[in-house]
Formats: sequence, structure tokens, C-alpha cells
Amino acid sequence: MASNALVGIVANPASALDIRRLVADGSAVTTNHKINVLRRVLAGLAGVGVERVLSMTDLGDSSGGIESLSRGPAGARWPKLDFVEHPITQSAVDTTAAVKAMAESEVDAIVVLGGDGTNKVVAAECGDIPLASISTGTNNAFPSSIEPTVVGMATALVATGRVSREDATHRCKAMTVSTGDHCTRGLVDVAIIDDDKPGSGAVWDAANIVELFLCFAETQAIGLSSIGAHVQPVGRNDPFGLHIRIGSPRVVRVRVPLAPGLLSDVDIAEVNQLDAGVAVKSIATSGVVAVDGERSFRIAADDPATVTLSRDGPFAIDVAKTMDIASRSGVLKDLPTINPT
Amino acid sequence: MNQFNRLDSYKEMVRIRQYESRILQEYHADKQPAWDIGAGLIPGEMHLAAGQEPAAVGVCAHLKKGDAITAPHRPHHFALAHGVDMKAMTAEIYGRDSGLCRGKGGHMHLFDPENHFSCSGIIAQGYPVACGQAFAFKRRSTDNVAVAVAGEGAANQGAFHEALNLAALWSLPVIFVIEDNDWAISVPKSHSTATASNADRAAGYGIPGVRVENNDVEAIFEAAGAAVDRARAGEGPSLIEIHTLRLWGHFEGDAQAYRGAELETVDERDPIPRYAKSLVDLGELTEDQIVTIAAAADAEVDAAIQFAVSSPEPKPQDALLHVFA
Repeated sequence: MASNALVGIVANPASALDIRRLVADGSAVTTNHKINVLRRVLAGLAGVGVERVLSMTDLGDSSGGIESLSRGPAGARWPKLDFVEHPITQSAVDTTAAVKAMAESEVDAIVVLGGDGTNKVVAAECGDIPLASISTGTNNAFPSSIEPTVVGMATALVATGRVSREDATHRCKAMTVSTGDHCTRGLVDVAIIDDDKPGSGAVWDAANIVELFLCFAETQAIGLSSIGAHVQPVGRNDPFGLHIRIGSPRVVRVRVPLAPGLLSDVDIAEVNQLDAGVAVKSIATSGVVAVDGERSFRIAADDPATVTLSRDGPFAIDVAKTMDIASRSGVLKDLPTINPT
Repeated sequence: MNQFNRLDSYKEMVRIRQYESRILQEYHADKQPAWDIGAGLIPGEMHLAAGQEPAAVGVCAHLKKGDAITAPHRPHHFALAHGVDMKAMTAEIYGRDSGLCRGKGGHMHLFDPENHFSCSGIIAQGYPVACGQAFAFKRRSTDNVAVAVAGEGAANQGAFHEALNLAALWSLPVIFVIEDNDWAISVPKSHSTATASNADRAAGYGIPGVRVENNDVEAIFEAAGAAVDRARAGEGPSLIEIHTLRLWGHFEGDAQAYRGAELETVDERDPIPRYAKSLVDLGELTEDQIVTIAAAADAEVDAAIQFAVSSPEPKPQDALLHVFA
């Protein structure tokens, strides 16, 4: 079972702490819960032959907790755990620095704990390293809610080459959005928000949203992409996305889950298919651009946001498919005993 | 939720900053010898809140007459933002008879019954007190709320947990505010606290807990507004941890050797110049206004200090008046 596979781990300590616990029923994903998720991932990785893991560092939070545990009895069952060295700012900059370092260390796959925002930051730096994303955020369309132990196993199957990358992953769509000096990429949604109201990062009030660009729109999802899903569902593998104008005159009103426990009625004024490779300018000429659910920057004067859908996003590990292939090919059968006596 | 006013919020933050800056100056002006905290015109320890203005302004913008605040040992920003009279507060800090407590409390014991404002040097002490105030509001069927403010180190005190438990059990209209300025005197959170965010701890009591990053007055306003709305509507307590910045020492005279390289970046993290710049970029503030707003604040502070220093000290024969313990 032993291999030289190296797996990176990114855990966003700040996920699931924003205002959506007050204005909606967003659940608390505590640091200790995140550490518990990490433990399950590490067990899954170790059980399928990954012996080395490279984790990002945060300020005594999840990485500190797992580092401390790795020196105890649990650590004996885990892969050897090393931490990426990078300056710690307690912001998304840390994730960027950590993923860059992981890419330089040539990790075979990265497990990401966070929401859409965390995955967006990882995707910007990971190149073609496959990602296995576990939801520990509030509104998650991109990462899955699959049991972390199994995510660890699937990641190990890909990292060790027991299931081929070609079979195990699919290439995600992405969107590039630019205005003025700003340019960034998103994985799920780009929203234009009415800028009169000040506020925090999260987007939760339907009344503020004036325009929406979506990579995909799945009906089981929560958050901004659910608006598109209830107009016209778009799958992750469809070669197009959606461009929606919200407001009046409305052509239809949809009732959507914008945040946990928060249903909102949203007036749809116009819906267009967003084709890959075509630069589309926002109809709105002012406002704030929110990327993957987080307010990012203002639309520059005289330069509406330009959004381009592409099919060159990150490679995502399809956990269910990977485990299915493993089962059919028997790679997890008749393995050496885990705890030889 | 109240409407946010960017310019008013900026003015209030500047008012607090000019106040703290001037108290800093006055405190050290005649402190001879420097190690004798009893010496000089301002006796006693001094904990100033420069850098933490966004927390006070963002939260207090939602409070109305009758709402209560219990503040900790670093209280000036919440006192001023909550409407405590600057002159009476300054006289108290100077130990004068015209002060809020007739000069017997000092800067850590500012009691203003009219505005339901109090503070204490005992860590986390304000948390249970806020529960009592909230219980009274609930019994009287008012929609008033109580705000309890403490630092992140205080969240390791028993009183913090007892208060959260009681407030959750009785669904009291309390907003628990933790100002996380990264330092409990000289102890970083990672050396004292078993979880990354005290917002996590709310989950143990079944109440909402949020953390607001970046010391951003607008984000604080939004979160506090949601928490105050919940409390007024009878939906019970909430906890907001605000990641803020202690611009200066724990107390005046603190050399802060323990802060290391982090201390080198405090000025670039100062929330007031940063907010001024964003308002200038938005076209809602001019360079001229930056100067006139600071000057207006200075004038008010000058008048308060003049009032304090020209007020008499308490008479020795009054030492036992208004003292009950």
C-alpha cells in the first residue's frame, strides 16, 4: 500500500462564522468540528496508502489543533504531517501562499475544507492539481457534503494512481470577472449588488442583487446559484452558464433558498445563456461585484463588469465515481491488515 | 435595522480617537516618577481604546434610549458612542467631584445611570450584569436590549459561560460582544483559548455566534443590527466576536515587548485612516472635511478637559458618602 504520494490540505479556519448565523439559520461549524473533519480525512488518506501530507498553517487554529493531535496516539495512524511555511495574516492571503507552496512541492492532490469562497482562492493557484472539496462553509454549491473519511479515501486513490485522474476528475467551469483594475476568477457565481447599502462580505439579502452570472445552477444547491436553478437548471458539465437580470419588469418570480433556513422570492427580469469564451458586459454600470458569494470590489466608473465563462477551471475529484471505480476494480480488496499485531 | 450613515460613523470614530489621543498625552504629561501610576493629574491605570473605535460605533449605532451597556476596563469608546457625557466622564477620569461618580471611581468605573452605562475592571464582570438588565427589560415587556462588552481573554472566565447559559435559557435580550484585539494583556489567544473563535462557543449554548473580521465598521454595524433586531423581537441573545486592533499598549506605560513583529504593522492596520480613504474614494468625504472633523472633535475634547481640571477634587470629609461597601 505504501506510496510516495503527497496530499495537500487547506482548511479555512474562518469559514461558517459570518452574519448568516444571525440573519438566517446558518449553522456553526466550529474549529473543533473542522479538526474532527481533518481527523477523518487523515484516516481516509492513511488507510489507502498516503504516507505524507502537507497542510497549510493558521494561527493555532485547525492546523495547530491537528499538529498537536498528530504528536499523540492518533498521529501514529495518520500520514506524516508537515506544515507549509508561509506568512500568516489570518486572511485569504494565507490560503494563496499555502497553495502556491503546495504546488511547488508537487502535491498529487489537495483536500479543501471550506465553502465556495475558499475553493475559489485555492483554484486560482492550484493549476491542474486535483481538488477534493469538503463543505465546511455556509452556502456551498461547489464543495460536496460527503463524509470526510470517504473523501480522504477517494483522494488517496487518485493521489496514489490507483484510480486514474482522467477517470476520477472532471474539469470545472470558471468565470473571469474584470472591471477597472480588478480581475478575479470565480467557480460558481458572480453577482452585482446594489451598492447603496454598506455591509459585510456575505450576500444574503435578495433585495440587493441586481444581476447574476452562474457557472452552473443545481436545484439541490443553496445560495445565489439556486436562483438560476429554479429558472433553468444548468449542470456542472454543461458547456454554458447563465446570465440573469433581477428586478423589474419581471418575467417570473422564483422562491429560492438563499441561505440556510432563508427562503426568498426573487423577481427575474431576463435570462440568457452564458456561452464559454464570450465576454459579456454587465448591464449594471455601478454597484459591488460579489464573487462566489463574497463582496469583492466595486464596478469602476465607465467600465461595467466583464464576465467570461471558461471551461478551464480546476480538476475536481468526483468522490462517488472514484469510489465506484475502486470497488469495481477491486483495489480496496484483500489489503494488508491496518493494525498488525 | 437602523440606516447606516458613513459620515456620522466616521465623525464618531474620530471623536473617540481624538479623545483617547488627548488622554494619552495628558496622562503622561506630569506622571513623575513615570512608574508611579498614582502620580499626576490623572491617577490610576489607563487603558485606552485607540484602534477599537469601529466596534463601539458599529454596535452603538443601533441602541436607543433605555438600552444598556456594560463595558470592561477599556471603556471610553463605548461610553462616548453610547452618549455618556464627555465632560462628566472626563472629570471622573481626573478624579474630580463633578465626575460621574464624584471622582471616586476613575476611568475603569464609569457609571451613568441615565444612559444605562457601566464598566468594571473585573474581567467578564459585565456579562452577568447585562443578563440582569435584560431580565428586567423582559419582565417589564419593553423592547430594550442589553449589550455586554468584554475582551477575548474574558471569554475564558466562568462569568462569560454562566452568562451565556442563563441568557440562552431565559431567552434574554442580550448582545454579547467580544472585542478580540489579539492580546489579553500580553497573552495571545492561541496560548489561552481552546478554540479559534469565541463565536464557536455560542454553539454550545444554542445561540447564534458570528465573527466579524477586518475591524470594519460597516460589517460590525450589519452584524450588530441583526443581533439587536433579534433581541428586540424576543428571539434571544447573540454573540458577536469582533476582530479589532489594540493600537497602543494594554495600559499606558506598557512597553509591549511581547508583541514582536506584529507591533510594526499596527499603524498600517489603523481603521480610521483606512476608513477615511475609502470614504474619500467614494466621494463622501473630502480632505478638507478630514481636517475640520478632527478640529471639531479636538474642540469638544479641550472643553471636557478644561471642565475636568477646573472642577474641585472631592472633599476629604465626603470620603464615606455614596460608598456602600
